[in-house]
Amino acid sequence: MEFNIDDLPVLFPYPRIYPEQYAYMVDLKKTLDAGGNCVLEMPSGTGKTVTLLSLIVAYQQYYPSHRKLIYCSRTMSEIEKALVELKALMKFRTERLGHEEEFRGLGLTSRKNLCLHPSVRREKSGNVVDARCRSLTAGFVKEKKEKGEDVEVCVYHDNLDLLESHNLIPNGVWTLDGLLRYGEEHKQCPYFTARRMMQYCNVIIYSYHYLLDPKIAERVSKDLSKDCIVVFDEAHNIDNVCIESLSTDITDDSLRRATRGAQNLENKINEMRDSDKQKLQDEYEKLVEGLRGADDGRQEDSFMANPTLPDDLLKEAVPGNIRRAEHFVAFLRRFIEYLKTRMKVRQVISETPPSFLSHLKEHTFIEKKPLRFCAERLTSLVRTLELTNIEDYQPLQEVATFATLVATYEKGFLLILEPFESDTAEVPNPVLHFICLDAAIAIKPVFDRFSSVVITSGTMSPLEMYPKMLDFPTVVQESYSMTLARRSFLPMIVTRGSDQASISTSFQVRNEPSVVRNYGSLLTEFAKITPDGLVVFFPSYLYMESIISMWQGMGILDEVWKYKLILVETPDAQETSLALETYRTACCNGRGAVLLCVARGKVSEGIDFDHQYGRTVLCIGVPFQYTESRILKARLEFLRETYRIRENDFLSFDAMRHAAQCLGRVLRGKDDYGLMVLADRRFQKKRAQLPKWINQALLDADVNLSTDMAVSSARRFLRTMAQPFRAKDQEGISTWSMDDLRQHQEKMDDDRIKELRAEQEREQNPALAAQVAARNGRESDYEMDDDDEAEMMALDNDA
Amino acid sequence: MSRKPASALPTISTEDMCPVCKTIRYLNKDMEFLINPECYHSMCSNCVNRLFNDGPNQCPYAGCHRTLRRRGFRSAFFGDLSVEREVDIRRRVAAVFNQAEDDFETLRDFNNYLQMVEDLTFDLVSGSDAERRAAEATLQQWEAEHKADIERNRRAGKEADEQSRRRLAAEREAARQRRVEALREAEEEKLERVRNREAELDSLAQGQTGGVGGGGGAQRVQLKRRGHAAAARAVEAAVNTAASAAAASSAAADVGRLSIRGLKEKKKPPPPEGPYDPFGGMDFVPSRYKVHEGLTHPAIEKYKGDPGHVTGGYNFDEYTTRAMFEAFAGLGVFIEDEKEAGIGLSAGEVASMSAGIAAVGDRMEVD
Repeated sequence: MEFNIDDLPVLFPYPRIYPEQYAYMVDLKKTLDAGGNCVLEMPSGTGKTVTLLSLIVAYQQYYPSHRKLIYCSRTMSEIEKALVELKALMKFRTERLGHEEEFRGLGLTSRKNLCLHPSVRREKSGNVVDARCRSLTAGFVKEKKEKGEDVEVCVYHDNLDLLESHNLIPNGVWTLDGLLRYGEEHKQCPYFTARRMMQYCNVIIYSYHYLLDPKIAERVSKDLSKDCIVVFDEAHNIDNVCIESLSTDITDDSLRRATRGAQNLENKINEMRDSDKQKLQDEYEKLVEGLRGADDGRQEDSFMANPTLPDDLLKEAVPGNIRRAEHFVAFLRRFIEYLKTRMKVRQVISETPPSFLSHLKEHTFIEKKPLRFCAERLTSLVRTLELTNIEDYQPLQEVATFATLVATYEKGFLLILEPFESDTAEVPNPVLHFICLDAAIAIKPVFDRFSSVVITSGTMSPLEMYPKMLDFPTVVQESYSMTLARRSFLPMIVTRGSDQASISTSFQVRNEPSVVRNYGSLLTEFAKITPDGLVVFFPSYLYMESIISMWQGMGILDEVWKYKLILVETPDAQETSLALETYRTACCNGRGAVLLCVARGKVSEGIDFDHQYGRTVLCIGVPFQYTESRILKARLEFLRETYRIRENDFLSFDAMRHAAQCLGRVLRGKDDYGLMVLADRRFQKKRAQLPKWINQALLDADVNLSTDMAVSSARRFLRTMAQPFRAKDQEGISTWSMDDLRQHQEKMDDDRIKELRAEQEREQNPALAAQVAARNGRESDYEMDDDDEAEMMALDNDA
Repeated sequence: MSRKPASALPTISTEDMCPVCKTIRYLNKDMEFLINPECYHSMCSNCVNRLFNDGPNQCPYAGCHRTLRRRGFRSAFFGDLSVEREVDIRRRVAAVFNQAEDDFETLRDFNNYLQMVEDLTFDLVSGSDAERRAAEATLQQWEAEHKADIERNRRAGKEADEQSRRRLAAEREAARQRRVEALREAEEEKLERVRNREAELDSLAQGQTGGVGGGGGAQRVQLKRRGHAAAARAVEAAVNTAASAAAASSAAADVGRLSIRGLKEKKKPPPPEGPYDPFGGMDFVPSRYKVHEGLTHPAIEKYKGDPGHVTGGYNFDEYTTRAMFEAFAGLGVFIEDEKEAGIGLSAGEVASMSAGIAAVGDRMEVD
């Protein structure tokens, strides 16, 4: 369908539109016009992606500025989905407009997914693929080849150089599969095609990390212009992504391997000094001159980028005491030895970067400044030495990253040394966590660089938390409700078991037999009445395991087994995917299944349980984080001191966003239906923190149920859902045809006009207004006079 | 518990076995390794005691003929003894070459200096004998030449260290304070909640039978109390922060003046009002002339004796003053100017006045 928002013609690739989609577009356009940021929450399964894309593409094509769209999503499958949507949209636009637009849309993912090289692509680990690819495509390899040396190169990569550099791939939208196929046909590397064409694209779809992780962003997203529109989809976890991108962990093992790496490096340097002294000398000269940008052209194959954010990058010459290659290696070794000594301590230490640095200086005479240049210097050295087996130097690179980060940031970071894995462990396994506490640090350059940033997800309540945590201003903050023609999902809060004893997974009572039994009977009851799939979420693996074993002892699992197949999620990805597959099969063939999984696990995010795959989601317990973790404690304290967010507020916000994510899994569209059961006493108070669309559907009668009441109301609900439901019923309510939309627009326009007119009247007739005011004034004056007169008379009388 | 066969031993690393007496950690749990910076050969503390208690002795390592003393021994900071040695040398070098970046004219000079120092250190650490000797000579020469500089820089460095340590300590202390504060606040809030609840229960127990009205009242009281508590807390917090800020500023006085943003200026009290002036500040002292006391003029002379003018309570001077005022009134007033500027009424006032008049007219008509 085709319609206008203000003056902007929008082509929407479906014949009908949801009211919330329209509202979303209006708000989005407002944001883009104003040139600011926004936070938007739209229920899952209401076509967020296509709404976003169709509005922004229309915006791009209509206005002369042609602002580029950077669409960031979380997983590979979501990227692929978005690309398919975009492709469909562009096809629709072509049909409608009658001509093909000048348009290019590309997706970017890791080398591992886009490699065509016959042997490299068969590697299993992404790191190995990266390293091997670099060793085949690095600039010096090609130079060597040209000189006639016998080195292995990647033919797919080298073919790219034969093409025009701004036209490596024809216009159109390329899904990842399509890109691979095109690459295979034309014998060109899909990964580098996408990387190099990014500047010439209208739409780029890639993962968060390409924008947030400074190590990658520096290389990939450097050339994007300021007026790009940045969209973070599924952004409810964006603060954690930000934090992870600036944090590193160092273990004993990585230090040992780093030492070996440093040793190798030294050997290489000695070799090179014997064979090719000139090269080392050249590098040295360059460093003396401070020519850091001299070989920016080769950026895309560089070993590692500076892990600090572009604003904090020190733009001067490398300090004198690490200019020489051998000096630098000795420097690294000293630093590694120091870390090793620190790791021998057998108590927990948490310290700030300045105190770490002063201790470091005291014992090793390493100053802050050369430490800051560590990453930079290592990259330069690796390039000079023309190392090919880069994967051996991975741990060394980690140490250098850590060194640079710790010397760059003083505020918002913390070092925590944990010598034991758990409190009860006897064998030490020390880990040095360098953690970023402030999510705003990593995302700040994004907000600084791009004028419009859109943060959106299905579950972002409470909305004001995100601008607070990430420290940015918004133009629009909006949460949309879901318009439904029938009540297609039933949220319930179950607080008591059938025996009226309250149920909760709070630490004191979680292992009490009565609580466990009540949860068990809840599961049994819902297994009885739910058709097809039932998904159960637990707060943690630990609790899930203990409760399952207790259920086994109580015979509850045997009871559930009569109705459903039981499958369990494990931390292992492959086992879980096998379980998921079995679950799907069982749901399709009518056996029905229960999937027991964890609210923070892999299943809770990114895997949809649409239609028969999920008719009930049962959330057992509030999924709080493990609060004894020192990292979490540090972060909570930081949040309290810096952003005035109280511990409990944050914990409860975090728990509820995960709970909402879990609930959202089951409802993936308007013709879908499902039960959402929150089983914990504590949910009652947290109700307000659920997303608006869930909270609205949660009736007051359903917030404090016991198991039997919940079951009976669920039965009633399922019976209504079993009635035939035609698409026609939804028309005009939850889906709008063109006419409905026009009506709505007219109504909105009328409202606007009325409002404007009222305002205008107020403005235009100041004389009238003044008259009225004056008359009022006069009248009151007269009254006053009367009073005065009366008073005077009284005075007279007195006199 | 059987004794382990000898073949199981090779897994023991050098960290767990003394190279001199071959004792393993299994037999001596708190074995400690010591080194002497003369030769960096490590041995267990038992060996050190055994060999060097009776005065200086030779290093027990084969081929090492250095004479070691008991008090030279210490435990190593680093696991890698070559690094330990390097750091010891660096300590010596750093004590001599301690110029800061500010001492150089350009960054490049400073970097060159750094490299020179690093080269020298490298010669000392891993150079050949000749190189080492040369480096040693340079070091001593530099020390002799720049004695004053070195001393000055050393003091400056110490001061900077001291300052940063103090700052760190202050920061830590402040963080601790804040933590305690937050804990206390949370505690108080909890107490308050309990108290409120009890108060509510009490008020219910005292039984206003009014039902709804009573409940509402209690709630209102509670809300009010909560509001009071919040206000009190806010005031207290403000006082506290002010106090702590003052303390901090006095503490940080040597670091730099602390300025607090966002502090409002204190409200000034309104200026005291004078006595009531019925003329609104107008003063009647004539500016163009001066009235003399006891003015004489033939024109007024005859009235001086006139009983109509000199009756009781009547001052003849006032008569003359008024006469003079009337004579001079209107001088310095130019009608044309006033016409142009208006009569001191703004256009708006005029408009509203006319509107008012019109309105009155309207009403009159209606009437």
